[in-house]
Amino acid sequence: MRPSRTSYPLSWRLMDAVEAVAAAVWPRSFSAAVPWLMLMPAVVLVGLLVLGLWDMADGSFRTLDTATFLPSDDYSLANYDRAFTEKLFFTVASRSLIGSLIVTVITLVFAFPYSYVMVRTRSAALRKFLLIALFLPFFIGQVVRAYGWLIILGSQGMVNEALGLVGVAPIRLLYNYPAVLFGLVQYMLPFAVLMLAPALTAIPEEMESAAGSLGANWVRTFIHVVLPLAKPGFIGAGLVVMTLSLTDFAIPAILGGGSQDFIANAIYDQFFRTSDQGMGATLALLLVAVGSIMVGVVFALFGAGTLAMGRSK
Amino acid sequence: MTGPSKPFLNLGRRRFLQGVGLAGAAGLVGMPFGRAFAAEPEKPKEIIVRAWGGSWVDSLKKGVSDPFTEATGIAVRHDLTEDNEIQPKVWAAVAQKRVPPIHINWDTTTNATKSALRGVTEDLSDLSNLANVTELAKPVGLDGYPIVNTYGYVYVLAYRPSAFPDGAPKSWKDLLDPKLKGRIALYNDGIGFHFPAQVAGGGKLEDIPDNMQAAWDFIAKIKEQEPLLGEDPDFTAWFQKGEIDAACTISTNAREAKANGVDIAWTVPEEGAKYDTDGLWIPKGLPENELYWAKQYINFAITKDAQQVWLDGLGLPGVVPGVNPPADLVGDPSYPTTEADFKKLIRISSKVQVEHESEWFGKFKEIMQG
Repeated sequence: MRPSRTSYPLSWRLMDAVEAVAAAVWPRSFSAAVPWLMLMPAVVLVGLLVLGLWDMADGSFRTLDTATFLPSDDYSLANYDRAFTEKLFFTVASRSLIGSLIVTVITLVFAFPYSYVMVRTRSAALRKFLLIALFLPFFIGQVVRAYGWLIILGSQGMVNEALGLVGVAPIRLLYNYPAVLFGLVQYMLPFAVLMLAPALTAIPEEMESAAGSLGANWVRTFIHVVLPLAKPGFIGAGLVVMTLSLTDFAIPAILGGGSQDFIANAIYDQFFRTSDQGMGATLALLLVAVGSIMVGVVFALFGAGTLAMGRSK
Repeated sequence: MTGPSKPFLNLGRRRFLQGVGLAGAAGLVGMPFGRAFAAEPEKPKEIIVRAWGGSWVDSLKKGVSDPFTEATGIAVRHDLTEDNEIQPKVWAAVAQKRVPPIHINWDTTTNATKSALRGVTEDLSDLSNLANVTELAKPVGLDGYPIVNTYGYVYVLAYRPSAFPDGAPKSWKDLLDPKLKGRIALYNDGIGFHFPAQVAGGGKLEDIPDNMQAAWDFIAKIKEQEPLLGEDPDFTAWFQKGEIDAACTISTNAREAKANGVDIAWTVPEEGAKYDTDGLWIPKGLPENELYWAKQYINFAITKDAQQVWLDGLGLPGVVPGVNPPADLVGDPSYPTTEADFKKLIRISSKVQVEHESEWFGKFKEIMQG
């Protein structure tokens, strides 16, 4: 009896052909290399970054000749000497470091209850509202958001107008350090919530119920159950917020009124205002080094948190 | 374009022909432009001119770019990349022997001098209209014409009259009045303020650049006033939004704020005000024909007719004799025309400024960021 053609349909034949071609191009014996092949995009990306850093490292050892505006042929540590001895760079670096730590702490404090309610609420409407409120800022760029604060907090802005209604004279809410920190916290909050939410989702609700049934009130449950189990989320969120704050450019530039520069602003000045690319490269490399050390210390002390994708360390 | 601007364009077209040396024979005037330039190098479809935005580019377009396009058929595209940011791109292109991203850079003379010292600028000495310009067009301290200065400007003390009920401030020291705390603004690199600060601080201009302690002392006092630090667009915005009452800024920004309805005036205080120039230059590496037409653009920009319209928009004095000041700036200290006017202003060579810019920038920032 002749077999029916439908017993081996055309789509299967096509798949056989595709498999045969795939086997010819990538034999089964190569299968061990598949994970490495999938890593290739990341390797290329990091490789390009390293190449750029190498070029910057070369530039950082060359000083600017202001008679020709060319970098020197000779290598020296002059730029690094300036970076470590000039008061300007110390001021800007310490402001950036302290600022990033303050912003990280405040952002995590605000992000936790938001994430907790978003994850635990039984109201689908409230969860959707919180999600929309979380993602909406991502559609608005950082610069636009900063300008929004100029409108709201300016001398003739909405806040001062409201204060004027109750007889309070206009006060300067912008162009100072607190304004920069405020702007950074507002910018970083969605990032922190996004990093915290998966960690909170991973905490079984039954754990909290069990703590309650054993007599713990909500404060003890929160301190002894939720917070410890949420630690990976805090670490991941903290790392992201800290590194983004440390390297931020736009918020200090727009809300700082020119006198609250962070390191990124100082780097921009060297590259684009004084045309001293060697000094700019030096500051950029030091920023990378400081950021990496801070992340390394956190990894060593607390692990990588949610960034470790479930691994303990 | 129609209406009142037409007569100017006709005149500009004739002037343009004269400028590029093609109207030597009277019979050429009125000849179709395609034929008039038949012997010239091939025209590019467009040339790219880096410019500042807002009223700056509007004025350039009206006074130079549009008439140039009408006369030659070459479109002019304005690239509004910041002058500081285009510089490394141009430098990299020249170093790598690539075609630069722009044909002409409208630049501060100080910035342009850096590019000239680096050797990335074309020599413009052969522009025919340089025969008709004042000495202001020539960059100080450089050989030839790697840059053509096109106008001068003054860093005035702009102020809100309502904040100065006793009349215009007479001295930069008036900015130290406690009632102005948090209500004044400077450029974020201190440009325009160093030299008057040297005088206001009790120093001498002759001591620049060797001893500027008086300037730093005065700037340190200004720092106590918690000034805002920004760039050109910031000043206009800050005056409009009521953030500041006084600023050291280019008169054009103050004039623009006034045109936008802000109650603002400006003055040159008794210590003087910095006078500087902007210019046009061409980066090396352009194809020959594009270089030729880029030069013609600059040659046209220093004709009287182009300057009259361009600089009317900016409210700045040009480099061609006979350009009339806008009606609102006749006798204004920000529009110097006489020797007496210039005596009130402070001009330091671009070369000195360039050589010490990084040092002055660092010192100013150190004070202001402290």
